[in-house]
Amino acid sequence: MTRLHTLGFLALATLLLAVPLTSGNEYELRLFMLFLIYAIIAVGLNVLVGLAGLVSLGQAGLFALGSYTGAIVATRLGFDMIGSALVAAVVAGLFGVLLAYPTVRVRGVYLAVVTIAFGLIVENVAIEWQSLTGGTTGLTSIPAPNVFGAVLSGYAYYGVLAASLFLLVLAAHNLKFSRYGRAMLAIAQSETAARALGLNPTAMRTLAFVVAAVTSGIAGTYYAFLNAYISPDIFTFTDSVRFLLMVILGGAASTFGPVIGAYILTYLPEYLQEFAVWQKFAYGALLLAVMFVLPRGIMGSLGALAARLRPAAKAATPTAGLPAEITLAPDERRPHAELVARALTVRFGGLTALAEASLRVKPGEIHALIGPNGAGKSTFVNTISGFYRPTSGAFELDGVQLTGLSSHEIARAGLARTFQNTELFGEMTVLENVMVGYQQRLAYGLAAALLHTPAMRREENRCRETAAGLLAFVGLADYRHEQARFLPFGLQRRLEIARALAAGPRLLLLDEPAAGLTTQEIDELEAMIRRIAGLGISVLLIEHHVELIMAVADTVTVLDYGQVIASDTPAVVQADPRVVEAYFGSSASHANLAEASA
Amino acid sequence: MSTVAQYIFSGLAIGGIYALVALGFHIMWSAARAVNFAHGDTLMIGGLLAAYLVGAGWPLALACGLAVLVGGAFGFVIERLAVRPFAGQANSIGWMLTTIAIGIMVESVATIETQGYALPLPSPGVAGSVQVLGAGLYPQELAIPVIALVAMAGLRLLQRRTLIGRAMQAVAHNRNAAALMGIDVNLVIAFSFALASLTGAAAGVLIAPVVQASATMGVLPGLKGFAVAIMGGITSAPGVVLTGLAYGVIEKFVEGYVSTAAREIVGFSLMIVVLLVFPQGLFGKREVAKV
Amino acid sequence: MSSKGLMRGQLLAATVAFGLAGSMAHAQQQPCIGNSAAVTGPAAFSGQAIKMGAQIAIDEINEAGGVLGQKLRLVQYDDAGAPPRGVDNTRRIALADKCIAVLGGFHSTVAVAQVEPVNEIGIPYIGVWAANTKAIENGRDPNFMFRVSAKDKWVARFLVDEALKVSKDGKIAFFYENTGWGNGALPDIKAAMAARGKELVAAETFNWNDQDMSPQVIRARDAGAEVVMVWSLDREGNQILRAMDKIGYKPAVIGAWGISGNLGELAGPLANGVRVMQTYSFLTPQGETGKKVLAALAAKYGLNDPSAIKAASGIADAYDAVYILADAIRIAGAFDWAKVQKALYEVNRDGLVAPYKPAFDKADPERNDALLPEHYLLAVWHDGKLIPFKGSPYDK
Repeated sequence: MTRLHTLGFLALATLLLAVPLTSGNEYELRLFMLFLIYAIIAVGLNVLVGLAGLVSLGQAGLFALGSYTGAIVATRLGFDMIGSALVAAVVAGLFGVLLAYPTVRVRGVYLAVVTIAFGLIVENVAIEWQSLTGGTTGLTSIPAPNVFGAVLSGYAYYGVLAASLFLLVLAAHNLKFSRYGRAMLAIAQSETAARALGLNPTAMRTLAFVVAAVTSGIAGTYYAFLNAYISPDIFTFTDSVRFLLMVILGGAASTFGPVIGAYILTYLPEYLQEFAVWQKFAYGALLLAVMFVLPRGIMGSLGALAARLRPAAKAATPTAGLPAEITLAPDERRPHAELVARALTVRFGGLTALAEASLRVKPGEIHALIGPNGAGKSTFVNTISGFYRPTSGAFELDGVQLTGLSSHEIARAGLARTFQNTELFGEMTVLENVMVGYQQRLAYGLAAALLHTPAMRREENRCRETAAGLLAFVGLADYRHEQARFLPFGLQRRLEIARALAAGPRLLLLDEPAAGLTTQEIDELEAMIRRIAGLGISVLLIEHHVELIMAVADTVTVLDYGQVIASDTPAVVQADPRVVEAYFGSSASHANLAEASA
Repeated sequence: MSTVAQYIFSGLAIGGIYALVALGFHIMWSAARAVNFAHGDTLMIGGLLAAYLVGAGWPLALACGLAVLVGGAFGFVIERLAVRPFAGQANSIGWMLTTIAIGIMVESVATIETQGYALPLPSPGVAGSVQVLGAGLYPQELAIPVIALVAMAGLRLLQRRTLIGRAMQAVAHNRNAAALMGIDVNLVIAFSFALASLTGAAAGVLIAPVVQASATMGVLPGLKGFAVAIMGGITSAPGVVLTGLAYGVIEKFVEGYVSTAAREIVGFSLMIVVLLVFPQGLFGKREVAKV
Repeated sequence: MSSKGLMRGQLLAATVAFGLAGSMAHAQQQPCIGNSAAVTGPAAFSGQAIKMGAQIAIDEINEAGGVLGQKLRLVQYDDAGAPPRGVDNTRRIALADKCIAVLGGFHSTVAVAQVEPVNEIGIPYIGVWAANTKAIENGRDPNFMFRVSAKDKWVARFLVDEALKVSKDGKIAFFYENTGWGNGALPDIKAAMAARGKELVAAETFNWNDQDMSPQVIRARDAGAEVVMVWSLDREGNQILRAMDKIGYKPAVIGAWGISGNLGELAGPLANGVRVMQTYSFLTPQGETGKKVLAALAAKYGLNDPSAIKAASGIADAYDAVYILADAIRIAGAFDWAKVQKALYEVNRDGLVAPYKPAFDKADPERNDALLPEHYLLAVWHDGKLIPFKGSPYDK
């Protein structure tokens, strides 16, 4: 935890302790308790919006679910507050899973509409299911907050809310700085790259939804006990917008932003009362102003300001890197990887992109795949990395069938790749990008992540050191705290290689790594590929740059119109008339290819 | 039998409004991959302004015409002020919240002006009811779905026969390529928002005589119109219009044979299910992601 | 007091004890009357009407020297019809502003939600609009919830009596909005029907902003209803009338006061003959007080034409409620909540809406309501105006 964060937590604790002592009257304290409840929702929602990058405009629906569930089990079954909150958390969490399911298929504005619809359905069910929810009149006579039969005093209940919020902020902070938080951020920024590194986007999105749902559910129960009365009008679309705004206003993805946003938006209506009939207008105007003046929220803008004022702060203490030769040392028990593709055929509608293409990457070799534009190279790469499904044929790594597996499963089997159009996690630092690559080698679970246990910290340190070592390996050690999107293009390519290596692959798939590089950079790349192969990692290289291929490849396979037309050593392939024809047409001569490669 | 006819025709009338609103969302989305979440308020502006002007003694046709134009201008301004600065952001939170904010402001002003009361918009279309297959309807209600279909056909004609229409299609297909071909993309987007808002405000003018104009008249049609657009496949004009009409009819049958109360629950659940089965909507085009 | 109430008492006591002491002591500043009402949103007119009625009464009282030598002031907060905001406002009025009493607002759901904090804190509340029966008849003793407005239970009886006068064989349908007000009235209507040995032939519900009511109207018609009782606001009332018109169904329509605003303007001739219950009309011959209030409405708010006043009942009820409260403070001799609550039962006054003799009756739990069924007024829509039924073209 950085010093600033520690200060922040101290400030939060002080605030939570000071408020009950300085409140002028019960009303002020109550309002503050309301803020605590909203802050709990906002901190949970921040995991969904800030980390996982998903917009929910139906959070009031989950809040309502928690509120009603808590109130019903408390009034009907006589549960105490803790029991009610747990039941509410479970019910809301289940609905969180349900809500996450559509993210498998829809994203962005479509997802926003699904969440809006969800919120409206909950609101209307609360209105219609009169026997259970009391309909429009709502539920009254919710008991006072109680634990194991003992009624909590106002102060004690305040204590429960304050402690809940404090622990939640801490847990959310810990989550963000763990493999789960990094995975969510990575998936939000490039799902493609995340999948290629073995991250499971559906699992992570579900987790984010469940976190947001469970916190809203617990907050709902707290709310029901605080208010002693709930009705459907408490949980409208307007409230969903307000919850989202709390996160945005405070600063999405920041630790304390949602708390600050919740504070402002809880107290704002009190001040807006001054505007009488114009208060909704004033609220709208304020919302508009926030989006223009503070699009990244208060914490986001403060962070940007701080970064501008003290750029030196970025160069934090360098972590000693573990040399790549150690972290990538081949496992004695496992031989070098062998990739075999058998008669792969891929059709898009009527177009056959790949026709019965077979290829074998021998253990430990550097294998180049070349071919003119449109020959099917990209299709081949995307197929064996699981982004496309082959129409027929099969492929396997060391005899393990990979056909039909999804991309993150293939990645976990030991196949890592880079992308033709670089797919970095642009808003994460260079170091964090590589740490995401290491993700699958981390073993700690969710509880350890939330608690930041010593074992978890040891693993994290190992991860950070490995990442630092890999950055040194590709020559990016000095850039580790830069945001990835600010790197020059050539360095972005290297970062992708480091990130792919962090996954500890046995086969590395490089998709046109030389495209757009200068001659000098290509020379460095050539050396790097040799060093990677030297570590015992098999390399499949897709490339146009003939000189590079001739220099590094052990075997060259040539694709044309989706078919393999040659596969042999560079020298043999270079002399193959069919290859020459494919590249230059029938009239071209052997000399031309030699010239092109010169 | 007459009851069934009643539900079908009443449903088509309200469905026609959903269709017109959804058509507006389609036009905006095609151009900008963003929409105006205050589109329901565009409808309200159209209906309420027309009612106000008629109340102030303007002739009906003139009042309606001006109200529709003001609605169109509203869309133009929203695009410029609230959508363009946030277009192209990875998540859509920016323009969603700015347009919602403007919606709140507009609705607030309208509420203050009307004190929350509804205003009548007298129209010859609701002077007396007519009987069709045993169903009682105002001629205005019969006209609404027809107008929705005409608007859909008109949009297609615009896209086929005019320069700006072809530019709209080019931008919808590939914005960068359109820009390279010398099309002023921003102009096309602004025009699309204005055009969408014209149809939205027209929907307001059309429905106001039937439901009365009020500050909140646009909330539900706006929300459901968007749901319909997403459900029908927001990239397809005929898709959203047909879905809108069908949605209106389904609503009426739910009201008639299940209960009025179940309407929203059934409608929105249906939408979620449709999206799960057809992620691009019923008639939407699949967008293949290239790695 | 129930055990739950005791728990609440402890909760409050504990809350107060840990450093919030003094909230019960009333500030020395100008005493205030608080109001939580809808100032924004679809019922914004109601907040405006309450403000007008209460402010006129307060100004008159202050001009006459105030109460106990102090001038009163009105504090109005917006709840936009949302119960949680109404509850927060109640607490703010009681605990932060330390007002003498709370005036209620338009929405029944808000009033029901206010029962809890009002009785927990122990501040007198006088409803001036929301008619939900249970908001005031809440089973508490002492009960701090009072009302100078209609009560659905009595309105239901009043309207059922009217409906049965019109109906030949007692086939009555009930249309109610799907809100706390409408849903709260359903049991009242059923009870009133049962008391007359009848049952509803149809009970139909609808939401605000619904655009077409033909399914509901068709069901009522098919059930053979001759009279339709309506618990709705003007906009939905208009939709009901139009749906009836479309299918050629012409029952007698009798409504609670939700359709006493601008139904005539919205529905035009279709509204002719629709009967509405009201508590007050400025269109009848006015007494001294009525003339005074009309003059104040014209002078302060520019409402020169009595028929342009759309929320007469709300204005008049708020006006009377303030006077009743002022009387209670004088009787109590203090601005103390508990004393004022007791004194409210001793107020006798000739008000604008009705003679209150007494205003409330401690012995009768039904009588925390000041307006009695005999004070209710039957009005009827005629050519865009709401006129007293008595002597109208429909009074046969």
